[in-house]
Amino acid sequence: MSAPVVVCTWQGAGDDVAEETAAALTLGRRVAAESGTELRWLVLGPAPEDLVETARSHGVTVVDTFGDARLESPGPDAVVEAVARYSASRPAALIVFNQHFGTRFVVPRVAGRIDAAVVMNCTDVELAESGGFLVTAAAYGGDTRAVYAPDPERTCVVALLANAVLPEPVETPAQAPPVEDVDIDVAGVEERVRIVEQARSEGPRLEDAEIIVAGGRGLGSPENFKLVEELAETLGGMAGASRPIVDEGWTDSAHQVGLTGRITRPALYVAAGISGATQHMAGCSAAKTIVAINTDPDAAIFRYAKYGIVGDCLEVLPEMIRAVREAGVAR
Amino acid sequence: MASGSMLPMRIVVCVKEVLDPDAVGAYALSGGLVVGEDGKTLTQTTIPRLMNAYDEQAIEAALRIREGGTECTVSVVSVGDDLTTLLRHAVALGVDDVHEIRPPEDEPDCHVIASLLGAWIRTSGGADLVLCGRQASDDDQGVVPALLGEMLGMPVVAVARAVEITERASVMVTTVTPDGDETAEAALPAVVTISNELGEPRYPTMPMRMAARRVNPEVVEPDSISEGADLAPRVRLVRQYVPTVKGECVLIEGDGPAAQATRLVEALVGDRVLQGRP
Ligand SMILES: Cc1cc2nc3c(=O)[nH]c(=O)nc-3n(C[C@H](O)[C@H](O)[C@H](O)COP(=O)(O)OP(=O)(O)OC[C@H]3O[C@@H](n4cnc5c(N)ncnc54)[C@H](O)[C@@H]3O)c2cc1C
Repeated sequence: MSAPVVVCTWQGAGDDVAEETAAALTLGRRVAAESGTELRWLVLGPAPEDLVETARSHGVTVVDTFGDARLESPGPDAVVEAVARYSASRPAALIVFNQHFGTRFVVPRVAGRIDAAVVMNCTDVELAESGGFLVTAAAYGGDTRAVYAPDPERTCVVALLANAVLPEPVETPAQAPPVEDVDIDVAGVEERVRIVEQARSEGPRLEDAEIIVAGGRGLGSPENFKLVEELAETLGGMAGASRPIVDEGWTDSAHQVGLTGRITRPALYVAAGISGATQHMAGCSAAKTIVAINTDPDAAIFRYAKYGIVGDCLEVLPEMIRAVREAGVAR
Repeated sequence: MASGSMLPMRIVVCVKEVLDPDAVGAYALSGGLVVGEDGKTLTQTTIPRLMNAYDEQAIEAALRIREGGTECTVSVVSVGDDLTTLLRHAVALGVDDVHEIRPPEDEPDCHVIASLLGAWIRTSGGADLVLCGRQASDDDQGVVPALLGEMLGMPVVAVARAVEITERASVMVTTVTPDGDETAEAALPAVVTISNELGEPRYPTMPMRMAARRVNPEVVEPDSISEGADLAPRVRLVRQYVPTVKGECVLIEGDGPAAQATRLVEALVGDRVLQGRP
């Protein structure tokens, strides 16, 4: 049998969303099945509570864990070393990570350490006719898709974008897979970057918001961002922003939605005065319902929106605040 | 390495030339973004080429360190052909020297680029601090700085909004995280990647631009620096395409914003996206 497909999740670094783990396992299972090999699940950090059940329902062959406290809250140097040693002892054909802030800058280092091929922003992996993989990735912020052929002689490491793969458990799960302890000790690895002052999470995160009202340059001036905040508050949601108005200082960068900001997945995303550039949409296109308010009927945002109002957001936002109050609505 | 001695520190900034992402976005929006006959390159010759914005901010970070009183030189390096205009822009911004490494193959991947940059840094006197943009706005990969860190055995601090050199030959970095700003310290030499939160890069003055016109980048042939290096790409681009976004937007009409807003809220309640008053 050829080398296995490994899905590597790292809880604590952002892999707390069960859906993303399921998406990576779904992709891993498909590739493993197509290439007639096994699917291993390497769990870094604390194991999720429903580890065995999740593994079973996604057709995992073997679960590999660091069965004790060695990797409870690992730093990046420890993770790079742990995955590198794991990969040396069980060479994989493909290692799939979820891409989010915690892994974005660690995955390429893993690839460098083991001299693997690496593709970030991955949306799909297929088998090439000639053998080997074809890895599709988003480029130009999502304006294009690039298809890469990694060197088939090496391990290929990919970081999977959120919402690129629909999670699909197997229809009739087999028995629960064995959970094996990875006999690798990285306790001696020294972290070279010292955290002097940890980020203090200020309240709820956009990533977890169910409702987001976001504003862009179409708001016209900084004080109008208040309208966005007020509608967000009225709906019991959070305020978001496009990058230009963060760069201009209308609000701080914790509110930036997009490729280089927050990747959100709310039930409702209201975009006011936002054109819908792909770099912005990379952070909100997973919203179940997008509502756009824009003066330009040809704005790209309308291509993503379920509902749209062609109009001045400075007029529409106050009316929405009123309409929401009158209807007494909430999530 | 220069650190620890009385020599000035050396900061190396790695930059990349990209197609103007705003122009690419505008073409994408109008449906005019076309992939050429080779199936992989964007063919719009009207799209200007310019320095990746994050890389320009990395230069800005280096210049701020120098202006902050740290004795240092700032070298800028890029891999590619025909980079004189790009690198003269770096000179006009105020860097000390610029270098153009010729690519060995038509399509070098991140591994090849990082190998060449690493080899050049090693053979040209090393670096105390390597600054890169957080990612390039064309392929968005953000892989080169990480590979460079691995190849040079340097720690990598990602997504910085501010960078300072301390008295004890370390770098103090304010990074942007989902939970807010974080402060991290790493001993030099180190790689730091710069994000847009650093702020607007300076604009080159006219005299600086004039002076830069007389500067030619040092051209570096790959063979001269990379003896024994493995310059086989790990990935090859085989295809690029423009994905389609299907638009199914329902435009809410009505007699003025008040009526439209009311209808919109009704529609959202109807979809159970919002819960109405019972
Ligand atoms: C590498 C890279 C990374 C990036 N990362 C991000 C990112 O993470 N997040 C992000 O947001 N952007 C990002 N960008 C920038 C992105 O490409 C766009 O430039 C940006 O999203 C545009 O912001 P905007 O929609 O607010 O402004 P604009 O594009 O200027 O759009 C303003 C919109 O408001 C409309 N408008 C004007 N007046 C009104 C009014 N009175 N009422 C209603 N509508 C009105 C206009 O019709 C227009 O559609 C990135 C770019 C690059 C190159």
